[in-house]
Amino acid sequence: MATVTIRDVAKSYGSAKVMHGVSISIEDGQFVILVGPSGCGKSTLLRMIAGLETVTAGDIEIDGRRVNDAEPKDRDIAMVFQNYALYPQMTVAQNMGFALELAGRKKAEIAAEVQKAAEILSLTPLLGRRPGQLSGGQRQRVAMGRAIVRHPKVFLFDEPLSNLDAKLRVQMRAEIKALHRRLNATIVYVTHDQIEAMTMADKIVVLNAGRVEQIGSPLELYDHPSNLFVAGFIGSPAMNILPAAAEADGVRVAGMIALPVSTALPAGTALLYGIRPEHIVLGEEGGVEAEITVVEPTGADTHVGLRFAGHDLTVVTKDRLAVGPGDQVTVSLCSDRGHLFDAATGQRIIAQAG
Amino acid sequence: MAKAFPSLRPQTQGYLLIAPALAVYALFAVYPMLNVVWMSFSAWNGLSPTSRFVGVANYRAVLTSDPVFWGALTNTVYWTALAVIVPNVVAFGLALALNQNLPGRSGLRVIFYLPVIIASIAVATIWKWMYDPFFGLFSNLLTTWGLTDFIGDWLGDRRIALWSVFAAYVWQTVGFAMVLFLAGLQNVSTTLVEAARIDGAGRWDVFRHVTLPAMKPTITVVFVLSLINSLKAFDIIYGMTGGGPAQSTQMLAMWAYTQSMQLGDFGKGAAISVILLVVTLAIVIPYLRWMQTQSEASK
Repeated sequence: MATVTIRDVAKSYGSAKVMHGVSISIEDGQFVILVGPSGCGKSTLLRMIAGLETVTAGDIEIDGRRVNDAEPKDRDIAMVFQNYALYPQMTVAQNMGFALELAGRKKAEIAAEVQKAAEILSLTPLLGRRPGQLSGGQRQRVAMGRAIVRHPKVFLFDEPLSNLDAKLRVQMRAEIKALHRRLNATIVYVTHDQIEAMTMADKIVVLNAGRVEQIGSPLELYDHPSNLFVAGFIGSPAMNILPAAAEADGVRVAGMIALPVSTALPAGTALLYGIRPEHIVLGEEGGVEAEITVVEPTGADTHVGLRFAGHDLTVVTKDRLAVGPGDQVTVSLCSDRGHLFDAATGQRIIAQAG
Repeated sequence: MAKAFPSLRPQTQGYLLIAPALAVYALFAVYPMLNVVWMSFSAWNGLSPTSRFVGVANYRAVLTSDPVFWGALTNTVYWTALAVIVPNVVAFGLALALNQNLPGRSGLRVIFYLPVIIASIAVATIWKWMYDPFFGLFSNLLTTWGLTDFIGDWLGDRRIALWSVFAAYVWQTVGFAMVLFLAGLQNVSTTLVEAARIDGAGRWDVFRHVTLPAMKPTITVVFVLSLINSLKAFDIIYGMTGGGPAQSTQMLAMWAYTQSMQLGDFGKGAAISVILLVVTLAIVIPYLRWMQTQSEASK
């Protein structure tokens, strides 16, 4: 197991710059997830760690050794691909043992390693099958088995669950997490699914347009997003964002609600107020009037769409509601868990309770 | 379609659509094939209104007393053995090279494919001129380089004539196999190549464990096509040497033609054709069977 250090890494394709100086430090045994929308550069970064893409500028170090120019096979990494990338003509056992075979290890030794990994992943009865005879989830397990047998310093996962159905995805999520605990492995994992990131990661790196937006633990990102992008990206349903403005004695949201906070900003500064769907309280005295547009019961909780002062809001509540679209309801948008962002830069603004 | 034949079942519609082609194939492929088998048991000079059933006499004559048949068979076997290997290996190499991101590769692909679209008889003529011992390209080049000792009578020397023709055949057929291989290379998964590189595979390992397995269906097609084409090799030989000198470039297909059309013995010509057909089927059918079980096993 090892540390991974990414220092000021940039990537260009010709004159097109796709990554602008990314720095991330990954500790030994950490499960780090790179997350971001399509085209943010997360897969490119992973492929640079793997050695499948060249690094235009900056350094990548694995266990303290600079690997920028090292071949993939000399980096002591293993990678699990989205489409599994299993050798179709080989059996499960041969697929898993292939890297060891190439490394010139003894047959008995390979068989023992494969057996051990197969047991961890409950693949033992499938060892003689070919990939074509396996289900998607089984193939994904074989791909993980192929990585495990090598005892690499770093495991790389490139959207490994994207091709699986929802139920299997939840199950594999738990399996990968258990695997991480068991192997105590350093893992770099790429996904566009923020739920995957929230549920599995020790540390999440939010990437956007080739830049790091924020690095932190899942709950840090959730509770203290450092900018508007992270606030909107992490959390489902997404955070509600309302226009706001700084005033002499506080902050006014949507021109109507006075928040009892002080920002030390000049009066009139344009701000944005973010509040998560579960922090809006329905039917509270002293709130503002809003119209219900949609009610979506999911069973455990209910998603309610609201129209308030020309803005759409989403509320998540545990209560069973006896209201429907078109009904008026009072809502309280004041919460000590709201967030303020600078409307111009999108950066988080620290406000003091006033 | 559905409106034009509202009451027809899809199967009936299908049969209706293939009917014209089926008629043409039956008339020009199936019937002649059966007829040639019948002819091989008869004596007919191609002109007389009647033919006579002679049993296996034609086969006996071909196999025992024909002075050229065994030579032609041997040539055909050598030719075929080389023709399924040499042009295809060259074509595979070209396809691998032209599958790289080379500047001008589409132009190069066209150049290597060009000979395929030239009529065989034109290819034969071009090469005949180039092989001319006095005025040909090769003799002149060797003279210019001072290598006059290597100048030969490429098509007139019975020891080398067959291989001179074969060189022209390679030039003519490489492009076709190359195009098929290029198409096959598109099926090689780049992710799988990357996975292999991470697994520690070098170029050769990637080729052996990723490229070759993915190319197996293409290789089968190319192998079978070139096998059939080389067994029936005719036009390029006909155009370059006509089977000579001293029957040294004689082949089964050509000898069948000569027996029938030039010597007027349609019975013997047909018998040679049938032998060629049997040889072809005897190689192709087991190979296809074997490939089928292989691909089923890997599924």
